[in-house]
Amino acid sequence: MTTRTATADPHTGHVTAHGQSAMPTALLGMLLFIASEVMFFGGLFATYFNARASAAGEWGPPAGAHELDIVLAGVLTAVLIASSFTMQFGVWAIRRGNIGQLRLWTGITLILGVAFLLGQLYDYSTLGFGLADGVFGTTFYTLTGFHGAHVFGGTVGLTILLARAMRGQFSARNHVAVEAVSMYWHFVDVVWIAVFSTIYLLR
Amino acid sequence: MPHPGARSRARSIVSAGAPLLVVLLLGGCLLPPDPKTEAGQDVFNLYVVVLAFAAVVFVGVEGFIVYAIVRYRRQPGDNTLPEQHHGNTKVEILWTAIPSVIVLVLFIMSIITLGSVEARSDEPGVTIEVTAKQWTWDFSYPEGVTISGRSGEPTELPVPVGEPIRIVLHSADVNHAFFVPQFLIKRDAIDMGENASPNEIEFVVTEAGTYAGQCAEFCGIGHKDMIFVVNAMPRADYDAHMAALAASETPPPAAGGEDCATTIALAAEESIRFDTDSIEAPEDEDFCIELTNNDIVEHNVGIDEIGFYGENVAPGESITYVIPAMEAGEYTFLCTLHPQAMVGVLTVTE
Amino acid sequence: MATTTLDPRADTYGRSWVLDWLTTVDHKKIGILYIVNSFIFFFAAGILALVIRSELAVPGLQFVDVETYNQAFTMHGTIMIFLFVVPVLSGFGNYIVPLQIGAPDMAFPRINALSFWLLPLGGLLIFSGYLFGGAAAEGWTGYAPLAAERFSPGVGTDLWIIGLTLVGTASILGAVNFIATIFKMRAPGMTLFRMPIFVWTMLVTAVLILLATPVLAGGLIALFIDRNYGGSFFDPSVGGNPILWQHIFWFFGHPEVYIVILPAMGVVSEIIPVFSRKPLFGYKAFVFATIAIGLLSFSVWAHHMFTTGQVLLPFFAFMTTLIGIPTGVKMFNWLATMWRGKITLATPMLFAIGFLAMFLIGGISGVMLGQPPIDFHLQDTYFVVAHLHYVFFGGSVFGVFAAAYYWFPKMTGRMLNEPLGKVHFWLHFIGFNLTFFPHHQLGLSGMPRRIADYSPDAGWTILNLISTVGAFMIAVSVLPFLINVVASLINGEPAGDDPWEGNTLEWATTSPPPPYNFDRLPPIHSERPLFYLTHGHGHAVAAGREHEVEEAEEGADEDVAGDVEKREGLV
Repeated sequence: MTTRTATADPHTGHVTAHGQSAMPTALLGMLLFIASEVMFFGGLFATYFNARASAAGEWGPPAGAHELDIVLAGVLTAVLIASSFTMQFGVWAIRRGNIGQLRLWTGITLILGVAFLLGQLYDYSTLGFGLADGVFGTTFYTLTGFHGAHVFGGTVGLTILLARAMRGQFSARNHVAVEAVSMYWHFVDVVWIAVFSTIYLLR
Repeated sequence: MPHPGARSRARSIVSAGAPLLVVLLLGGCLLPPDPKTEAGQDVFNLYVVVLAFAAVVFVGVEGFIVYAIVRYRRQPGDNTLPEQHHGNTKVEILWTAIPSVIVLVLFIMSIITLGSVEARSDEPGVTIEVTAKQWTWDFSYPEGVTISGRSGEPTELPVPVGEPIRIVLHSADVNHAFFVPQFLIKRDAIDMGENASPNEIEFVVTEAGTYAGQCAEFCGIGHKDMIFVVNAMPRADYDAHMAALAASETPPPAAGGEDCATTIALAAEESIRFDTDSIEAPEDEDFCIELTNNDIVEHNVGIDEIGFYGENVAPGESITYVIPAMEAGEYTFLCTLHPQAMVGVLTVTE
Repeated sequence: MATTTLDPRADTYGRSWVLDWLTTVDHKKIGILYIVNSFIFFFAAGILALVIRSELAVPGLQFVDVETYNQAFTMHGTIMIFLFVVPVLSGFGNYIVPLQIGAPDMAFPRINALSFWLLPLGGLLIFSGYLFGGAAAEGWTGYAPLAAERFSPGVGTDLWIIGLTLVGTASILGAVNFIATIFKMRAPGMTLFRMPIFVWTMLVTAVLILLATPVLAGGLIALFIDRNYGGSFFDPSVGGNPILWQHIFWFFGHPEVYIVILPAMGVVSEIIPVFSRKPLFGYKAFVFATIAIGLLSFSVWAHHMFTTGQVLLPFFAFMTTLIGIPTGVKMFNWLATMWRGKITLATPMLFAIGFLAMFLIGGISGVMLGQPPIDFHLQDTYFVVAHLHYVFFGGSVFGVFAAAYYWFPKMTGRMLNEPLGKVHFWLHFIGFNLTFFPHHQLGLSGMPRRIADYSPDAGWTILNLISTVGAFMIAVSVLPFLINVVASLINGEPAGDDPWEGNTLEWATTSPPPPYNFDRLPPIHSERPLFYLTHGHGHAVAAGREHEVEEAEEGADEDVAGDVEKREGLV
């Protein structure tokens, strides 16, 4: 029989001599938050499929509006997938302690994220149908819009990350924030792949 | 062996439980109404079996709780520990099995009953198209008769006894539910759009009589006023009743707006309201009310005091009612379909 | 036993106590904020309940018009569920979970404060409808299309949507915090299968919140888009589907029922062993039953929709009846815990036993409603009102008061007065049954829910009158509770560290605990570390349980081995 005792450090609030898993608490928190986001998007996808299943006849933009621009959407998809890679290069860099490369890759990821958002706004401006034009319009703008909002949230996170990296606040041992933001960014990317497949490919 | 003092404690618990017993008795015998349809009788029988299971579980568990707190009460000054049971796998398996068997039996019985409740005949005796709308019922018969009611008064639903009646449930607006307690049946009336068929129920009434029904799905401020009454009668009486109703369907009075010296413009606006809550008319001469319906559901104008009830106007259309001469005074005008929200004062001036 | 000489208020450095409470990130203070805030909303929603019951006492509209009545029952349901029962249990969880697992605080103290402060904000937004032309009046379920802009144009419904979304966000953040705390902050030796049952129920509850609430948030946003931006999610005239709202709402709504009842079951599972002087019978079976209920809760939502004619009746009926099995196991475990115990009927135990007796009725009526043919008769009648109150009130609220009486000494260092507590319990218990038992018969005889008035010829008058008398009795029963709390705070008997001879770690520290909870923890070799500290291991051996203690030890070693693997995998 072993007896382990612990003391709480009143300054950090951390219990030392832990017997628990090594995943940083902040990262676990992000993972749990992403789990709730999965359910949120799951609900939105369910509304999309429900509307699609009960739609009579044609499913797509209302008559008279432009068809969806699958080429532009494909390019945007490539941009976002590329940004996931650049993000991951940044994470690998800081795990080796290379903060210069972290700055570089975070900057590139941020630019790609902003490019995606601008491309999506351009796409919206050319479509010629709106949120109020039938159930396709409603579900289309809700799905892509909420995804866009999450990309925007990701770019805010990337900006903060970049600012902190510029001040040299990360190291090989201390970069939980980089891991957390990258986890979120990959999640947003995966959601987009699902959105793209659902709306553009599964027509 | 009961502890000393257990009897007085038992007495105190019984006296404390007595109010609960009184409530149980006052609550009645916990049975649904005497069923008046064939399927309703099946539901009733299922319910009685389930209630019997429930009573056994209830008495067993509550009885054990009372027994335990009487029998195993800690005595003052007793600082010994009872035996520390942590569990017993065999017992756990047993009492996982008991509820499993109970719920499985209940499930099978209710699926069998469901089959009889949901059974549909090939050719029902009568098929009635029911349209539920805020806050009245329309009952449309194959004979071409439509019975429309006034909100707050029971709309008659005549049916023949002894043959299958099919009810097709439509909604003109929000969700409603068709509910006749003595038939032990209820089904929602939902506007499903073009892409789904409306709900249907079927029942055979076993006994002539009148049975109250009402909307069971909350539908706004007139929810409590969506009442109807099933009037079940033998086939011959039913046929005569329907023929009389068909004969009494009066053709709509011709619009005579041109003859009116005074025409009052009134509009029904979206979200169930009149555009004004007060209108004026002259004394002792016929006048007209021109109702324009800008809403998405039907409306009308009625004046209770003189027994005038105008016909309904479809959305987007207008109608002119000729009102007979009235004495000076204040009257109430309303839409009989929505008296909860569409009501105003008609002032007849000298 | 661990003792501490730290002053609980040593960290305030003379700051104003108001500022101190407003800016606190201490889980204990946040827990108390949760509880106090929830009780304020409880009293507000209780007053609305009295409005409802007064109006229904006799036929005819005497006190309020129909519109006010509809707002009253909508706000009553919304506030009771979203701003009382869920947050008050989160409040106890906030206070107790870190203590029970030997942690100094929650994993994310500042997020903890944020998720609390969103609650009063959301609640006030929901209530503020009364200032802007009328509160929401579609029922707490907010069914489309009634909740669509066309049928409910008032801004009250929009405020209801926004407020609920904030409250939902708060509980998601809270859930992340609970899960992270339970997985990352446990003291050495506190393996998963040594956690107190209350911690287990809070863990499963948090997972349900995490997975169910976002779906409601999505639905609320869709409803908001429909109402304000011309969307057509739920509008059948342009291809939308009104049934979709019910699917979304109940996909969240049924797990919500377990979100509300599981922590109360946890409370009861803490209290019954302590006041029976026995361990909980079948600890592991209880844990697995909790997990089973959590899993099943995601596959039964459509039993709220049997009468829509749009759901697969046999499947949902089957899944629903299955829930009766783990629930039955729990009931047997509680009873077996009392069997051959040494039972003390202190007020916490009275409320815990009240929970068993009343929740049983709610469970039985739930199984009845789970049978589609019976549900066809009873759906949307007062029978459902009776059922849900026997679960939410007879179950959860009895659990809340049990928790309040049980942990008040820990939170304040003062005992509550026992005679006043017993007066409270009996008034509450009798009032509750007077109010809600007659609803069963009202529903069976066909009285629909949510009607402001009924015909004098319907035969419902006497039962309604009894129910109203009971409702006022419940209202009166709150007075001895409030007097008790205030009087005990001022002049209560000092509680000491462990007034109930508790089993779990919160009783190993001072009452109230110091800022970081523990100076020193007792060794943890079982789910009852304090019991073995007091009585020694001889009892475990006497009960033939030495192998279980050893097993638990091995479990701890496996945990450490697993950690090393994970650490290597991550870095």
